[in-house]
Amino acid sequence: MGSGTQYVVAAYAVILFALVMYVVLLGLKAARMARETELLARLVEREDPVEDEPGPDGEGLSPEIESAGR
Amino acid sequence: MTELATGGRRLVVTGTATAALLALSAVGIFLVAPEDADQGVIQRIFYYHVAIAITSLVAFGVAAIYGIRYLRTRRPEHDMVSVVAVGLGLFFSILVILTGSIWARASWGTWWVWEDPRLVTFLIVILLYSAYFMLRSSAEGERRARYSSIFAIAAFASVPLSFYSVRVAESFVHPVVFNSTGANMPDTMLVWFVVAQVAMLGLFLTLLQIELLQRRADDALKRLKLRLEGGV
Repeated sequence: MGSGTQYVVAAYAVILFALVMYVVLLGLKAARMARETELLARLVEREDPVEDEPGPDGEGLSPEIESAGR
Repeated sequence: MTELATGGRRLVVTGTATAALLALSAVGIFLVAPEDADQGVIQRIFYYHVAIAITSLVAFGVAAIYGIRYLRTRRPEHDMVSVVAVGLGLFFSILVILTGSIWARASWGTWWVWEDPRLVTFLIVILLYSAYFMLRSSAEGERRARYSSIFAIAAFASVPLSFYSVRVAESFVHPVVFNSTGANMPDTMLVWFVVAQVAMLGLFLTLLQIELLQRRADDALKRLKLRLEGGV
C-alpha cells in the first residue's frame, strides 16, 4: 500500500470508527431505557398482581400469551 | 398514531436512503471518480472531509433556527432539537478536524498549521460550541432552555466567520474549492462530491431523528416512573 493510500484509509477508518462508537453509545442508552422499562413493568405487576400473575390453569394471562401457550 | 410511531416510520425511510447513498458515494469515490492530477490518491479524503464540514455547519444552523423557534414558542421540543443539533454539529466538527489533520499530514507534511485562518477559526467554532454544554449544565429548567437558545443563536455568528475567513485572508495553505465562479474541479469529481454531501446530510438527519426518538421515549419513561412512584 502506498503512503498516500495509507492516509486515505486512515481518514476513512477514523470516520467509520467514530460512527461505530456513536452507534455503541446509542445502544448503551437504549439498554438503559430497556432496564428502566423492565423495572417499571415489575412495579406495575407488583401493584396489580391479580391481573398479571397467571393462575394454576393459566388464568390472568393476556389473550396473546394464552393463545401462544396453547 | 403516536408521535413516536410516526418518528419511527420517518426514521426507516431516512435511514434506508442514507445507507444507500453512503454505499453509492463510497463506490463512486473509490472506484469511479478520477484521480486528482496534482494530489493523487490523497485527494479522495476531500469528498467526505468537505461534506462533513458543511454538514457540521448545517447542524449549527439547525440549532440556531430551533433556538429562535424556542424563544418564540417556549415549546421544550424546539429546545430538544437545538441541543441535539449542537451535539451532532460538534461530532461532525471533530471528524472534520481529524480527517483534515490526516490530509494535512499527507499533503503539507504537518498535522496542523496555526497560521492558517480556516483551521484556527474552525477550532474556535468547536471551542465555542463546547461551551454551550457547559452553559447548559449551569442552569436548570426554563432558564436552561432560554440561555441555551440564546447561546445557539449567538454562536452561529462564528460559522460565517469560519466560512469566509479563508477567502478574506487569502490563505495559501488551505485550498478554496468553491468560490464565486463555481467549483474548482471537473464534473466527474463534482458529481461524487454532491452524492457524498447528500449522504452526509442524510446521516445528520438520521442521527438527529434517532436521538430525538430516544429523548422522547426517555421523557415518557420518566413521566411514567414519576406517576407510578407517586402511586397515582
